[in-house]
Amino acid sequence: MEAFLGGLAILIDPYVMLMVLLGTVLGIFVGALPGISGSTTIALLLPMTIAMGPIPAICFLGAIYCAANFGGSITAIMVNAPGDPSASATALEGYKMAEKGQAGLALGMSAISSAIGGIFSIVVLIFAAPLLARAAYSFGPPEYFALALFGLSMCAAIGGDSAVKNLIAAALGLLIATVGMDLTTGIERFAFGIYELSDGIGFVPVLIGLFAVGEMLDQAVRRLGKAEIIHLDAARVPGWAEFRKCNRSIWIGSGIGTFIGALPALGATTAALIGYNETRRWSKHKHEFGKGSIEGVAGPEAANNAAVGGSMVPTLALGIPGSATTAIILAALIVQGVRPGPHLFNEQPTLLYAVFASMLAANLFYLVMGLSMAKLFARISLIPPAILWPAVFVLSIIGAYGPNQSMGDVYVMLAAGVVGFLFRRTGFSPAPLIMGLVLGGMVEETLKQSLIIFGDDVTGFLGRPIALVLFVVTLAGLLWPAVARLLRVARARSASA
Amino acid sequence: MREARNPNPAIAASIAAVAAIAFAGTFWFDPVPPGLPGLGAADFPRLICLVLFGLAALLALTQGQAPSEDDAPRLDGGAWAVFGACALFVPALEILGIWGAIPLYLVIVGRIWGGVSVVTLGLNAAGLTLALWLVFSKIFRLTLPTGWLGAALGG
Repeated sequence: MEAFLGGLAILIDPYVMLMVLLGTVLGIFVGALPGISGSTTIALLLPMTIAMGPIPAICFLGAIYCAANFGGSITAIMVNAPGDPSASATALEGYKMAEKGQAGLALGMSAISSAIGGIFSIVVLIFAAPLLARAAYSFGPPEYFALALFGLSMCAAIGGDSAVKNLIAAALGLLIATVGMDLTTGIERFAFGIYELSDGIGFVPVLIGLFAVGEMLDQAVRRLGKAEIIHLDAARVPGWAEFRKCNRSIWIGSGIGTFIGALPALGATTAALIGYNETRRWSKHKHEFGKGSIEGVAGPEAANNAAVGGSMVPTLALGIPGSATTAIILAALIVQGVRPGPHLFNEQPTLLYAVFASMLAANLFYLVMGLSMAKLFARISLIPPAILWPAVFVLSIIGAYGPNQSMGDVYVMLAAGVVGFLFRRTGFSPAPLIMGLVLGGMVEETLKQSLIIFGDDVTGFLGRPIALVLFVVTLAGLLWPAVARLLRVARARSASA
Repeated sequence: MREARNPNPAIAASIAAVAAIAFAGTFWFDPVPPGLPGLGAADFPRLICLVLFGLAALLALTQGQAPSEDDAPRLDGGAWAVFGACALFVPALEILGIWGAIPLYLVIVGRIWGGVSVVTLGLNAAGLTLALWLVFSKIFRLTLPTGWLGAALGG
């Protein structure tokens, strides 16, 4: 409690508060731009945070993460173009409401349910993260190795068009993480005598390249025109009757979102889609779905924002990212010299609780801004792509060059941009590669330490129950789709026989 | 009309080729000093390469669908021109410096993209360059490439 109050006290610092406010405005602004997701925004703005110091930097990024999900719903409702992938479920009912002349009500419900979902998940984060961290105190290198493998195996479900492709991307991320000097032996790997590579490939240029430049190159192929916007006077605060109607959907969405967000690798988009399905399943007004149901806006919006707090639980307590965006936030923490994990709760509790407090503040900020400035934010989607995307490329160049003032980082970013573009065209998701890159060091380090503990005998893992359970869960998760398919085929054969 | 073929074997072959090059690359690492316990410097990358080979083989055996026109539209002349402009940005950076290259890039790529007049693009380029200069050079005090032109002008 003392640490939490300490965290709240940090918010009194005008500089930190300004960063949270700026992060919220930028998050809504960029979240509302179709094609630029929260993860792209954070990747793009990550270099700016390096000079800020750990607490303002993480508060700034946390606020962007919270607000970008909400920002995505504005364009999902107004132009049927989700600004963030996590708002795709909102577009299903929100745009239909807008067509019926209820855009203001849809935006109002979106703002309120997003804030409730977000605050609910942060309260869960405040209580659950320390408990999880305490449980993880007994973890040694074998358990961390098993946990990191479990996190990577969850990449199979992260996006892209097949689980195998996601796992390939994660393995490529692990391979990229091996570039540079091996810390145990001091031997250079894959550096090819290039000085810039001997320190390894930096997170920042790879993140910017994969997300921002890759997306820009993809948009260059499409070169779409600007969107048509639906007329809106103002966002409307839902009345008591509408709120009572959506009450159940909001809590279903909040619960589902927090749980799904806390699972490694699954993020807000999955939470929103499942939140939408479950809202429809438990609704007393199923016939309204598909025609502009207000519950269909409340459920997924609560879910995608609840996933934000949920995904911070494994990120901060274990150092295993809960989503693509938290993988980038994890990278930001590492760049700031902070290594997330259970020890963080003892060593830097103020930093952690400042993050929690800033996320709470960001939720309240975007609630107020969402209700008062929705019309303004909706106009963001009218920025012509011919102005938006070249500016993204220019910012990417500055972002990659800035931190180390190295042209080598610019080349790495451009190469990562080409990889990101090819990934998008071949059905790969860039998020698993980032997970592999961020977790690569931990996987290798813990495997090496485990083998030293076991005297190079891999069967030593069998004597560690927690690691064993995690391996079994990982294996079951990877094999289950194939087993289920075989069972379905066998059942179909026996039915036809 | 696009031919409906399975793209997975070609993708798998590319992944296998990357893994093979990386695997071969591990034989050029310096030898591990004798007496060090645990995995050597080359063992972990080799392990990942083997996992990549296995996953590539699995992908090759999986039936995939060629991406639709929506997922992967054909690359037209405009797209290639934007790619070219992006590739030329780095040499332009070396010659004109960042504050010369940015407005030029914004106008050229904006023009290729289409839908916005040259005057608007010019005004946007000037405004954005000024804003970036204020934020990065004056507020964050980042040293950004000045190029030959900047050096010649004493920047």
